[in-house]
Amino acid sequence: MLEVILTALVISAGIALAAAGITIIYMSTETFNFAHASFTTIGFFVVYNMLLVFGGSPYYYFVFAAIFTGLVGVAVYLTVNRWLIKRGADMVTLMMSTLGVDLILFGLINQWADIIRDTIPGSSPRNFLLRTIDYPIAEVAGTTIYARVPISIAIVILIIIGLHTFLTKTKFGIAMRTTIENPTLARIMGVNTEMVYLTAWFLGGALAGLGGAVLAMIETGSPQVGVRYIVPLFAGSIVGGLYSVFGSLLGGFLIGLSQQIGIYVLSLWVGTFINAYKPVIPLVIMVVALLFFPEGLGALAEKYLARRGVKK
Amino acid sequence: MAIVIPPFLIEILLTFGIFLIITVSLNFEVGYAGIPQFGRVLTVLVGAIVAAAIPGRLLVLMAGITVEFRGEEIVPYGAEYANHLVNFRLVDQINTQILGVNPGLSIVMFIVTLILAAIFGAIIGYLTSYPALRLREAYLGITLLAFGDALQLIALNYDPLVGATQGVFVPNFFLWVGPTQTSAKIIAILIVAALIYVLVYFWVNSPFGRSLKAMRDSEQAAEVYGKNVPRLRGYTLMIGGALAAIGGALWVIYTGSMDARTFNRLTWTFWPWAFMMLGGTGSHKGMLVGVFFFALFRYLIFAYKGVLEPFIPISIQWLEYILIGLIIVLVSMFRPQGLLPEKPRTLLPKERVEELAKPSA
Repeated sequence: MLEVILTALVISAGIALAAAGITIIYMSTETFNFAHASFTTIGFFVVYNMLLVFGGSPYYYFVFAAIFTGLVGVAVYLTVNRWLIKRGADMVTLMMSTLGVDLILFGLINQWADIIRDTIPGSSPRNFLLRTIDYPIAEVAGTTIYARVPISIAIVILIIIGLHTFLTKTKFGIAMRTTIENPTLARIMGVNTEMVYLTAWFLGGALAGLGGAVLAMIETGSPQVGVRYIVPLFAGSIVGGLYSVFGSLLGGFLIGLSQQIGIYVLSLWVGTFINAYKPVIPLVIMVVALLFFPEGLGALAEKYLARRGVKK
Repeated sequence: MAIVIPPFLIEILLTFGIFLIITVSLNFEVGYAGIPQFGRVLTVLVGAIVAAAIPGRLLVLMAGITVEFRGEEIVPYGAEYANHLVNFRLVDQINTQILGVNPGLSIVMFIVTLILAAIFGAIIGYLTSYPALRLREAYLGITLLAFGDALQLIALNYDPLVGATQGVFVPNFFLWVGPTQTSAKIIAILIVAALIYVLVYFWVNSPFGRSLKAMRDSEQAAEVYGKNVPRLRGYTLMIGGALAAIGGALWVIYTGSMDARTFNRLTWTFWPWAFMMLGGTGSHKGMLVGVFFFALFRYLIFAYKGVLEPFIPISIQWLEYILIGLIIVLVSMFRPQGLLPEKPRTLLPKERVEELAKPSA
């Protein structure tokens, strides 16, 4: 059971980070970013590729995964998204365009995997496991705890503190929030909204890359991994309410934990055949959340706090 | 039927016929009614499941075929039908003993299968109208996408239905044709595609089609004119679902086997979106152009693979994704109206409309 919880925590941290990325991009540019699937996979592959080339610990390369994926996000903004926003494209067109971007990136990632396979002997880019080279740090009740557990939790906490400080204490962060609230007014006040959108895409991409890097420490890596994870990511973001980065971190944890622990509990009850239906759990939670709590967890928590008389 | 279609045309016509049906059904929902259908694969898969699960069982019951299963002699119409140890022998028996020698029954069963697929597709399509009445735009799109994924997971794991990952074989309704049966299948697919195309043409140019467009352009205005928007959305999802299910059924009838793994959202949702956007969302003729362009293009890149490969640093397999992605991105950026844009239709001649619009002095 402890092992299930530990695995669930790492996976949830990965989902939460990437889901927060979806939310940042959605809040600022109204774009539901399908390319997040590929962004997450890019995080996986940066860690794997750098590990193959430079060796050492996979944790050294987390920063590079974040920066590289962030730059991919910036590239997507500059080439596709900015043009469409300027033309006043509607939400479905914006979403569709990121789907096209996702297909392009998916093709490129597969090609990248082929190149790794052909140039680095002994690599298996279509089926790699990094969790086997993780460091054991402690043993509790017969279960080994690996470094990935505290590290992934620490990353989430650092991101929360970092983003909170950035959005509330720095001038640019406040400008960013202004733009999200009211872009026209922000522009009148002299805020460079394009810079804000660009930063949002960088942050969104970087969070996806970081989420992918965290997931790489537990999941089997392949170019398909993003395609499998995109629905839990959207689910995390939507359950979080789509208008709050911290809500989506919470939503990501809810999705990840209920997917991993929920299926474990269910399999004890009804039998192991249910394990195959694991990906249905985030789908169900997401659809229920959309139909019955469309404002998401963030708004629910705020309402609860307001009722208790706690000021935001 | 002694018509033989050359092999290169079979490839092109197969892609064209199947995807024309799916894309027309998608355009019906997206282009005319404005529902962001990101779960097209859902009803396509319903059609495929119906074609794989129902006609074989019906024929087994009708002919009273028995097989030995775990030491017992049974009529396999339940979960045993989809058992991979039973299924391949059973379908072979159905094909050679019943369908192969009985052209009349084959044709009737083929049509019955398509009708059943359409009915189940319509039911599932109608069920998706529950979220479609409550959610808007991207939220609805994501929800529909989730439904499609969920059904694929069920089909992949619940083996009494269509054999899960082992898959099942689909009865061959064209065995009686003999050696030219592939051509016969293609002709059947094209006939169905043509019928659907013409049918939808009449629908979208009828008062019903005009109400759909009114709803797409402004729900409030449509309601002011007395259109029942929830009912219109429900009908749209029913019709779109039924048509897509026919497409899915035809596909598994053509391939002769049902494998839930092939029903991914990429091929059956996102590709049709790309063709629709290329042809022109909301333009019925555009669908022909978009799908034909793609069918030809796909054939050409695979046919000239050997010639192309030395010149480009990317293997053809991945190039296909990149090119489809590029089509989607470039069309949405530079030609959102598509190759053949939707034309506004007036019921009276243009001059007469302008005359009526003038303020009477």
